Amino acid sequence: MNFKFDIAIIGGGIMGCETALRLTEGGMRVVVLEQGDIGQGASGVNAGTLSMQIKRVKLMPYAIKGHAIWEKLGEIIGFHKTGGYTLAFNDREAELLKERMMLKKEAGANISFVSLNQLKEKEPNLANKVVAASYCPDDGYANSSLTGYYYRTRMENAGINYVEKFKVTNIRQTSDGYEVSSGENLIIAKRVLLACGGWMKDVAAMIGEELPIRARINTVSVTERAPKLMSTVIGHATGLLTMKQKPNGTVLIGGGWQGKGTPEEGRGTVATDSLIPNLQLAKYAVPKLSNVRIVRSWTGFEANVPDFYPLAGALPNKENLYVLGCVRGGYTIGPYISRLMGDFILGEEPEMPLFDPSRSFESA
Amino acid sequence: MSKEPAPPIVRTEIVEFSFDGRKFSGHQGETVAVALLRQGIIQLRDAPNTPAARGMFCVMGICQECVIEINGKRKEACRVPISSGLIIDKVKY
Amino acid sequence: MYDATIIGSGPAGANAALEAHDLGLKVLIVDEQRDAGGQIWRVKSKSILSAPSTEASIKGDALRERLKQSSIEVKFETRVWHIDKNEEKNWIINLVSKDGSHSVLSKALIIATGAQERVIPVQGWTLPGVVGLAGATALFKEHMMVPGKSTVVAGSGPLVFFVASEVIRLGGSVAAVVSINGFSDWIKALPAMVLNPKLLWQGIKWIGDLYLKRVPLYWRHGIRSFEGLGHVVGVNVRKANKKWYLRHDPNIFIAADSVCYGHGLMPSIEASRLAGAVHTYEPALGGWVPFTDENGRTTVPYLYVCGDNAGILGAQAAPHRGRLAAYAMVEDLNETLPEDLLAKRKAEKKLLKWASIFGKAATGLSILQPGAGGLISKQTEVCRCEGINRLEIEKEVKTGALSPNAVKSGTRCGMGPCGGRFCSESMALITEQATGKTRAEIGLPTARPPLRPVAMDEIAKDLNYDDLPIPGVSPL
Repeated sequence: MNFKFDIAIIGGGIMGCETALRLTEGGMRVVVLEQGDIGQGASGVNAGTLSMQIKRVKLMPYAIKGHAIWEKLGEIIGFHKTGGYTLAFNDREAELLKERMMLKKEAGANISFVSLNQLKEKEPNLANKVVAASYCPDDGYANSSLTGYYYRTRMENAGINYVEKFKVTNIRQTSDGYEVSSGENLIIAKRVLLACGGWMKDVAAMIGEELPIRARINTVSVTERAPKLMSTVIGHATGLLTMKQKPNGTVLIGGGWQGKGTPEEGRGTVATDSLIPNLQLAKYAVPKLSNVRIVRSWTGFEANVPDFYPLAGALPNKENLYVLGCVRGGYTIGPYISRLMGDFILGEEPEMPLFDPSRSFESA
Repeated sequence: MSKEPAPPIVRTEIVEFSFDGRKFSGHQGETVAVALLRQGIIQLRDAPNTPAARGMFCVMGICQECVIEINGKRKEACRVPISSGLIIDKVKY
Repeated sequence: MYDATIIGSGPAGANAALEAHDLGLKVLIVDEQRDAGGQIWRVKSKSILSAPSTEASIKGDALRERLKQSSIEVKFETRVWHIDKNEEKNWIINLVSKDGSHSVLSKALIIATGAQERVIPVQGWTLPGVVGLAGATALFKEHMMVPGKSTVVAGSGPLVFFVASEVIRLGGSVAAVVSINGFSDWIKALPAMVLNPKLLWQGIKWIGDLYLKRVPLYWRHGIRSFEGLGHVVGVNVRKANKKWYLRHDPNIFIAADSVCYGHGLMPSIEASRLAGAVHTYEPALGGWVPFTDENGRTTVPYLYVCGDNAGILGAQAAPHRGRLAAYAMVEDLNETLPEDLLAKRKAEKKLLKWASIFGKAATGLSILQPGAGGLISKQTEVCRCEGINRLEIEKEVKTGALSPNAVKSGTRCGMGPCGGRFCSESMALITEQATGKTRAEIGLPTARPPLRPVAMDEIAKDLNYDDLPIPGVSPL
């Protein structure tokens, strides 16, 4: 391997692949370098929730755009717009829900508060313990398992080079670009975009960039096929539960409960002491889940920085070095922010502002 | 019906149970799958995606092909023992 | 807190436990079955009050008696659903029994989960009436039952002949024996088999009995498809060559109401994978095995494996492997091994070496030959749980899915309740054929809990809502 590319994108998840597609449209010669398989990191193992109610206020406009992209893809990515309820089980949570959802609504999300009767009518299997609920008709989900298939196929069709099992071991800046190597394999490119999620901190360090990235280790579980238990996406005021039943009857349970491990060590492992409360909360919300069997639990890494806003832009110290990640809601927002990133790299003005990676990181 | 040699195999008493609304009998403590097999019943459920019947396959509780429901809970028929009056349903998806 | 937890109490696990206990460790045995013995010496069902004894039942009873006499703590009818570690690096072993879920802590962990059956899918293999070959032995040993009135026994290795002879012993009728191995394969294995005259004689007796009973014996034949609607009514058989390719001859139809079908044993590695051990592909040992030293130490500290899950060497080798794992564990926990145990270890290793030669010869008969993948026709359901056929897997591979995780994500093959335990082998075989990559390059899907499906209320007890450990609210 010894080609010259306009850009080497490190990371073959949603961000890397979608940016690659945009840049290719813009006429660049792109190579995507992926340490594992395309779309099999966080992009392929997250719970697939496309919920406006769990998006950050400031990111809402991006989420709305991202959601529209998924909706347009439809069946190919397993998109379903079911609507979604967020539940509060006590007064404190009801207060929290009210305060937070009002702000999200003001930010553009189509969120309303519903009566418990309305809720019961739509979701008769929910526990009687709900004291307040909000609703968003746009909420739904897509099938994150299909991310790899979808982007592989699109990149093939666009003639984009991608290399799997290319674990970057070194990045070197040269007089007119970068050399990215994996062992003895070397890729030469004019620009580099880091889009490798939980692995970003280490890869950035290879080129001397220190990014304040931490990786969260989110746990997701799935049940076997069950009789109909819910028809919408169910969430919790604290954000600690997302749950939906797929058309095949399986129930997917997430909520960001933390597993163990680090990106350097592998794919992370499921921690007993966080899996159990995650499932307890799911069962508390839908008691009929009691009888249903869990067939698989897994983890995925979600990268973030201290202010929990994206890194999306140029790194200041080196020319032609870009970073995209830590989006917070990256599955929903990913396709959209990647297109913005593509525009930025192509020298065009993005439709919405990016998130300067050289800002100062004060905890929000 | 499966043949078996004359004694000296001594089994426990016969008890009655039901499967999918029909009455069956079997030896107390033997597994659901075996009790039904003895009476020629080997179709334990339908596959989820196709109308094809499925039955006991691995006999060790791994393959999940023989699952049945007891009180709404899915159990492996090759591991769950029968007892008098046990009500067993076919899996509903 | 236990010094050692042993998962599985077949001849390997039970002997590891007995040895560790004798050496003063606080030991716990966990097993899915209602008593010790494993698959080879499987304990009889509670429904059998008395029955004629067999060699396996005598050996099993002796082992069970030894365990009872010791004061080793046992948890039978108990499954492990997750293996985790706490901050002090002790093992958290999550168990589920009819009383629900609980976990135990242990300094060391020995995995002795034995083998799992390999079955190469062919058209119609999902029909009721078709059971695994090893599965059939469970039916014989636990229930003294035969799978039907008229049974075809088919596949590879010695198990084919054992199963056929057991069907006859228990009063059933064998419609035919279909062995993908030729008689010459057995002759080749003979020198190694001679090392164990007793077992060799047993094998000769099985085959001799079949000739005496005039059971049609199809050497070097394979099953092309199973016939039936709703249940199996027979098999289509074709002549094979020694690489397991079936000839394009007309099918030979053999009527039967039951079929026992399998292609040898694979190490049951799901627990050692979940515990984080490195595994390698060793066809001579049955497939993927944990990478170990000669004492059963894995790549993970205080994690040991013994018995067939460490590579298929059979029941003869198992007790030696169990004791060696126990010595290694004692050595690591106490940071030393007394002189007398060093001598014992040497003796066990010698015995293991002899037993392994025989075990490897038997395993060798089921090493997958190049034609194995070709037995799976395009329309054959490879993933029984999700109903995914070969064509769908090949299509996914063609779009560029080159790893088991990628194929699984794109097709759902392996995402059902069995967790890919019966299809990941076939999925890899198909990928191997489609890409020309080796099995080692193709690898395995990521190991994930639970080891068996578990009901939500078994692991998640009712919640006192105020006790829910809410780690904080997500940023607004």
